[in-house]
Amino acid sequence: MTTALLLAPIGLPVAAALVYAAVGWRPRTSAWAGVVSTALLAGNALGLAATVTRHGPVHTAGGLIRADALSAWMLLGIAAVALLACWASPSYLAAGHTSARQARRYGVLLHLFIAAMATAVLAGNLGILWVAVEATTIVTAFLVGHERSRTALEAAWKYVVICSAAIAIAFLGLILLYYAAQHAGLSAEQALDWATLAAHAHQLDPAVTRIAVGLAVLGFGAKAGLVPLHAWLPDAHSQAPAPVSALMSGVLLPVALYAVLRIKTIADPALGAGYLRTLLMILALATLALAAVLLIGQRDFKRMLAYSSMEHMGLIALAAAIGTRLAIAALLLHMAGHGLAKTVAFLSSGHILHRHNSSQITDVRALATRMPLLAGLFGLAIVALLGFPPAALFASELGIARAGADAGLSWATAAAFAFVVVAFAAITAHTGRMLLGPPTGTASNEVSDPPAALARSAAPPLIAGLLGVAALGVALGPVAGLLHAAATIVGAP
Amino acid sequence: MTDISYPLYLDLAAGLFLLTAVGVLWRHQLSAMIRLFALQGVALAAIVAILGVHQYSLELILVAGGLGVLRAGVLPYLAWRALGDSPAEARETRPVVNVAASLLAAAALTLLAYAVTRPLVALAPSPATAILPAAVAVVLIGFFTLVTRRRALSQVVGFLLLDNGITATAFLATAGVPLIVELGVSFDLLLVVLVLQVLTTRLRTAFGSSDLDELRELHD
Amino acid sequence: MNGAALIGTAAQVVMVVAGAPLLVGLMRQVRAWLEGRAGAGIGQPWRDLRKLLRRAPATPTGTGWAFRLAPLLLVGTSLVLAAVIPLLSTASPLDHVADLFAVVGLLALGTVTLALAALDTGTAFGGMGASREMTVLALVEPTILVAVFALSARVGSTNLAEIVTTTLHDPLRVASPASLLAAAALVVVVVAETGRLPVDNPATHLELTMIHEAMILEYAGSDLALVELAASMRLTILLGLLTSLFVPWGIADAGAGLAALPLAVAAFVAKVAALGVVLGGVEVFIAKLRLFRVPELLAGSFVLALLAVASSFFLA
Repeated sequence: MTTALLLAPIGLPVAAALVYAAVGWRPRTSAWAGVVSTALLAGNALGLAATVTRHGPVHTAGGLIRADALSAWMLLGIAAVALLACWASPSYLAAGHTSARQARRYGVLLHLFIAAMATAVLAGNLGILWVAVEATTIVTAFLVGHERSRTALEAAWKYVVICSAAIAIAFLGLILLYYAAQHAGLSAEQALDWATLAAHAHQLDPAVTRIAVGLAVLGFGAKAGLVPLHAWLPDAHSQAPAPVSALMSGVLLPVALYAVLRIKTIADPALGAGYLRTLLMILALATLALAAVLLIGQRDFKRMLAYSSMEHMGLIALAAAIGTRLAIAALLLHMAGHGLAKTVAFLSSGHILHRHNSSQITDVRALATRMPLLAGLFGLAIVALLGFPPAALFASELGIARAGADAGLSWATAAAFAFVVVAFAAITAHTGRMLLGPPTGTASNEVSDPPAALARSAAPPLIAGLLGVAALGVALGPVAGLLHAAATIVGAP
Repeated sequence: MTDISYPLYLDLAAGLFLLTAVGVLWRHQLSAMIRLFALQGVALAAIVAILGVHQYSLELILVAGGLGVLRAGVLPYLAWRALGDSPAEARETRPVVNVAASLLAAAALTLLAYAVTRPLVALAPSPATAILPAAVAVVLIGFFTLVTRRRALSQVVGFLLLDNGITATAFLATAGVPLIVELGVSFDLLLVVLVLQVLTTRLRTAFGSSDLDELRELHD
Repeated sequence: MNGAALIGTAAQVVMVVAGAPLLVGLMRQVRAWLEGRAGAGIGQPWRDLRKLLRRAPATPTGTGWAFRLAPLLLVGTSLVLAAVIPLLSTASPLDHVADLFAVVGLLALGTVTLALAALDTGTAFGGMGASREMTVLALVEPTILVAVFALSARVGSTNLAEIVTTTLHDPLRVASPASLLAAAALVVVVVAETGRLPVDNPATHLELTMIHEAMILEYAGSDLALVELAASMRLTILLGLLTSLFVPWGIADAGAGLAALPLAVAAFVAKVAALGVVLGGVEVFIAKLRLFRVPELLAGSFVLALLAVASSFFLA
């Protein structure tokens, strides 16, 4: 039973990919196979969460697949965002006039992407985690370049080159960790197993571990969009199809930070909390500063959303730097809330893009008057991202601020939130320009026919996402125990 | 292999390994870079084979053979195919950092690698770990090549150098990471190169050349 | 300081002076054979020198002491180097001068004097040649210092005789990476210092990109004879330095008596002649580098030398 619960999250998306490879993408039939698969995945994730809360960590395949509270929480997040993205894919692909061959490739690659991310959070071995994260780069390379335009190719190229180089650096860090582990007496099979490493962390040689951890954090952090190897993020997120951008922002970035958290469980006992705290603080503040500054002059709303993702990843890195239980709990809540809200934001931006044929902010005017449903969904998603209650991001940002003050890092937290305020102002200004104001008649860049309103069938996933963010922000309900258990694994008391 | 000559052969192979990386920074022509990369694959296979003979491990020798086929055969062949046959593509356009400065930077990176890897060598001194600085130097030089080159294919060669250095580090520091991870890594590397090759071809059709200076449409 | 050592040093000087033009003749003859020409014979440089010595030197108006001093200083430094570097035996009365830094300094002194003389003439070619020579020298000096330093790091002393003696006693050291890298760097240095292809073409006197020939364009008669002799002596000395450092077998040790000298002479002649033939042969097949690519080549050789030092310090 446990084995099935652990293997299904990988098997279900692979099965869906096989269905698409065999049958192709048929708008009325096989398109919904993805939704069925991710719905089953969501059910599976809930089951796993319940098992882990009741029985503690479970594992199978000789420790290669391992799930504890942290993995279960991440898997819940992956399942939720994947469900929304797959639910919204049929209407997106239909509006984008995608050819059957392109749609089929999209279906196969999307589900392989989900399978790779599920493998990453369920991996018990850091090596398998690494292989899964690398696999996501390969699979998404063609998803990013889906549109086949010059800009999409440029984005795909930068994405593959930078992410592969970053992941290679992370692998070097893992090798050095393996080297230190072997010298601490761990056997070859166990030397990369994160549970064993965390248990024996104080036996690892500090100098070697310092180099190893630094490299691994830099490498995985680059995959999460942290400075200095962040240059791929705005391009890839702005050029990819909207559901793919949603998955990348909502799941891929948090999974990369999950890898950093796993390394933190090993590094803190081995080196003391100070090393990773300083490193992550520097990365977090630099990322926040860069994102805030670059948000001010943005002209493209999809890039604006991408920089907003960078900003939120910076906040998550800040919470990881603070490292107390409250900070980690807030971090995990922030990941979940951001994932859902960003998904809705990207999906609605995809619809806006299709209707205006342009992703420039100046080309979208008075959306609230012309397409009230779409504007409402987009606006509410932005409002959730900005951290207004009842969105979960309000509670998590409050938690991060409180944890920072409690841990004695008030100055750094204050600086970080100053950047958040700058980003808040920038995003509000841009979104306001898009949504509000009177319609000025046909702008020069609009197509001659007025754009069609949002189809009724496209709205449900977006509404579901918004309801999810709000629900998470109000009460954790049944997942509260899971959140506490996960925070205890990573956070220092 | 006698105990006297084992460190010598290992040092020679590591020296060739590092020299080919410096050579990639030196040469202007893409075909020469690919040839030097193939030679580096041979040096890497030699390092692993020497380690295997010294430790009487048949597994390591077989892995060395596989590595040689992959890094000195398959990957350079894929890179050749991506080169295309137009002569205008065969040269490197002026790199971001000129060749003389890049060579001096390579010297500086080698010294940096020696400084940074002192704790690694100190943890388990042996002729194998004494060469770790050379492997890490190749990693740094590969990263430098990746960052300072304008041609798509030169960036690919830089990335492959980076990966060669990391593989060498893995085999020198330990007796290779567990086999399943090494297989996964090799498979990933192959896929990445295939992806890059396809993207290079598409870049050439979309932009007319694979000079990355042309890729300037996305910026802030 | 015994008689054998004194005779050895004297033999070195005589051999270098007498043999240098022959070496140049050999290299030109090899080139001629490979290019399908009959060639002028190995003794031609000596015949040229004899012809030049009979002519009166010409001093252009406006030149000063630098122009007159340069040929003498060039030959003087070459003679001192021939006496000091352990070519035939490692025991020499000038042992304490046989330090790496002193040798490099003497080489540089000769080059700088010639450059000053070229500037002294006030002609366009002179200035051009001098500035290019100084560029090459600025890049070559660090390389030669670092490369021989890499060799001396293991020995613990920068005395050339000691380095050669240690290599004589421990032959396997030559195959180490430090040694091989230093050898590669020094080969490039020798090519650059002596003005051979691919840095400079020694066969033409009228190329716009000449370096060495531009500096000596104004010399005539016995001055030109001295300058040419000094140039060929420097080539012989540098090739001899290469063989002493990396293939030292045949050099008479400190304890060996007079009887080891003929063997040392034969070994030296054979080794330097072989190197000269190889150098001359390779020159037929390579083209001269464009001038702005020369710093790349020299930077590359500097990197090789630096890697040699790094590996000599860090490898077992």
